[in-house]
Amino acid sequence: MNAFRALLGAELRVFVRDRTTLFFTFLFPLIFILIFGFIMGGTGEEEQASLGVFIAFDADATALEAVLAETGLETITHYKTPEALEQAVAKRRVDFGLVWDGARLQFIYDPSRVQENYAFEQIAQGMSADFNLRHQGLSPILDVTMIHVGTEAATDWFNVMVPGIIAFSILSAGLFAVSGHITAMKERKILDRMVVTPMPPLALLSAVIAVRLAIVYVSTLITLFVGIAVFGLKFSIDWLHFTVLVACATLGMMGFGTLIAMVVRRPSSASNIASALSMVMMFLSGIYFPIEFMPGFLRAISKALPLTYMAEAMRFATGITDMSVVRFWAITLALAGIALVLLPFLARYVVSADRR
Amino acid sequence: MIGVLLVARTHLFTAFRERITLFWVLIFPIFIFTILTLIFGRIGQEGEINFSVGLVNLDAEATATWEFDTMIEGLFAELGASQIEGKEPLFTLSQPENGEDAKAFITREQEALARGMRTAVIVIPEGFGRRIEQSFTPAGFSAESSSSTTEAPQGALSIYYSEGNPSSEMAAGIIEQILVGVDREILTRAGRFDEEAAVPTETVWVGDVAEIRYVDFLLPGVILMAFFTSGLFGVPGAILFSRDQKILRRYWVTPLSVPRYLTGLSIGHIVLGLIQSVLLILLGKYGFGASVSFVAIQPVAFLLLAQITFMAFGFLIASVARTANSGMAIANVLNMPMMFLSGLFFPVTGLPLFLKAIVYANPVSYLAEGVRTSLGVEAGVFSTPLVVGVPLAWIALSIGVASRKLRWDVER
Repeated sequence: MNAFRALLGAELRVFVRDRTTLFFTFLFPLIFILIFGFIMGGTGEEEQASLGVFIAFDADATALEAVLAETGLETITHYKTPEALEQAVAKRRVDFGLVWDGARLQFIYDPSRVQENYAFEQIAQGMSADFNLRHQGLSPILDVTMIHVGTEAATDWFNVMVPGIIAFSILSAGLFAVSGHITAMKERKILDRMVVTPMPPLALLSAVIAVRLAIVYVSTLITLFVGIAVFGLKFSIDWLHFTVLVACATLGMMGFGTLIAMVVRRPSSASNIASALSMVMMFLSGIYFPIEFMPGFLRAISKALPLTYMAEAMRFATGITDMSVVRFWAITLALAGIALVLLPFLARYVVSADRR
Repeated sequence: MIGVLLVARTHLFTAFRERITLFWVLIFPIFIFTILTLIFGRIGQEGEINFSVGLVNLDAEATATWEFDTMIEGLFAELGASQIEGKEPLFTLSQPENGEDAKAFITREQEALARGMRTAVIVIPEGFGRRIEQSFTPAGFSAESSSSTTEAPQGALSIYYSEGNPSSEMAAGIIEQILVGVDREILTRAGRFDEEAAVPTETVWVGDVAEIRYVDFLLPGVILMAFFTSGLFGVPGAILFSRDQKILRRYWVTPLSVPRYLTGLSIGHIVLGLIQSVLLILLGKYGFGASVSFVAIQPVAFLLLAQITFMAFGFLIASVARTANSGMAIANVLNMPMMFLSGLFFPVTGLPLFLKAIVYANPVSYLAEGVRTSLGVEAGVFSTPLVVGVPLAWIALSIGVASRKLRWDVER
């Protein structure tokens, strides 16, 4: 027990002193949500698009004014000349522009806003259809009601993204705890020295695991807190689900880290492989881009990645999206199962002498 | 001269021999380019995207003139079949099976929607056709359309979707557009809407550029990203690891001097950039049909300026880092913010002041715009002197600091 306590203290000190790991565990997720929070804050939200308008003074503006009032756009700016409007679009002071000269509607876009123009064009199409009916004194025949299904928190894509970022930070913390931290200890022959002391290897392993679990848990809490405090994100966290998921996911990812450490012969390469793998997974698991937007073969790859399921379960545990409880526990227990199968190999890896 | 070339060759070979370096300088940019083009290059293109949609028709009454409900149902069924051979249809429709209770079906579909298994659910309500017929009498006109409420008014068509889920929003948007078309069709057939008198809608792109394809916008950004990461990690890595492992010390006892070593390193690094850009351009052109042409003085000059700026930036990191590991840590810290706060992958707008400050101080912002405007895929926000001046200022600052602080041997 003494050995365990000593190792626990040592592990904690090593972690606090290692500024790079400290950065990646605590600050990296925060930087991510800060940058993406502000960049993504406006995109995709139709109401937040800003429109610049020029209406020729001799044109009948009644129908158009009614259309503009109906759009629900938050910012509509009027310009005195079409040139001033074009300039505003070019300098990105407004997202897109509309010119009404009495004979035709002209929508002005900035061609370099490749990812957003689709949404602006959708708004424009709606406006032009509405305008045409009003222009002839008509109203739509079909009554269409849009009804949101799901939690209120799920209406904001960024709110949906943050649990994904948390899942990713668990993935990288778990992978690097083994393929980075333990492999480095092996490379520097610290493990070899420890093995010859009376310390049971299990104590070392438990100390590493305990410290990581605590740190990952604290870091996920900080990320959630910043999301709520800075961006006003809404979560309704089921603490039992959340805590069990964080623990099982961390352990499961440590299991995968073990797999990498065993497959890659040179310990220092293990952390490189881990960082390359986690990057690839980050982009393919639907954290930043919805999986549905991907072509079929990428969707299939995505479904084979653990991070996809971790993010899904995390969204459920934080009360963002719905999922059957059975599925949640299946994912969580599968992660725990991975840990159960692979972590014993880590124990062997720790005690096996370095044959070089 | 041979010494210089040998250093250049060593730098280049290390990049390709070290598998992890190869991953970051070449494979990762190719991966990002492929993923982003596959995802964002296809948005809004039929045959490239597929939405899973639930549809239920509760309107069993027959109406006098047209069967509006079956007309809409038929239209979506048509869209649920593949329009282009060998491609996925726009919608994969899920409808109640024979004899299935419609209400239970709706509940199940809504649950599937909340769980992300459906992108939208369309419900044609009871009395739908009758309501349309009634609305042809002048008093029955309703002005409230597309209103977002929690409950649909009597006889109104409902689209259930999941706001905040981009694919669901997109599916709902497309369905709305289709229904607007149906609306106009009904009004035209009823002799109310005059197609001839319809006001035309035009699309105008600012600047001298026409509509830009995503792949053409992305390609220069990814090339710059490849340059940026290899400058940020590769340059300090090459210098600091050689210094810490005392390889540089061995160099200094040979006739190789620091300036000649640096010349060699720079040549090797520029050739690396050349290889990166050629491979990415070939992939863009033949893999994804990119049509931008880099064969002109301006884009090449900007790419060269970018490569030199990022290389100088690498020197700057090498001068402030005490060890190779801390150099890599600094590079890691700077990597993400500089990459995303620069408009490399998408234009950044609507940022708060402190993040805007990073965008304005970031040389990547100017270089990205410089390369893009010279290729004609962006109108540009900054003025030309800034686009050239800010990167030059960074080069001057970096070289200035490096010439004073960069140590060429381990501390004794």
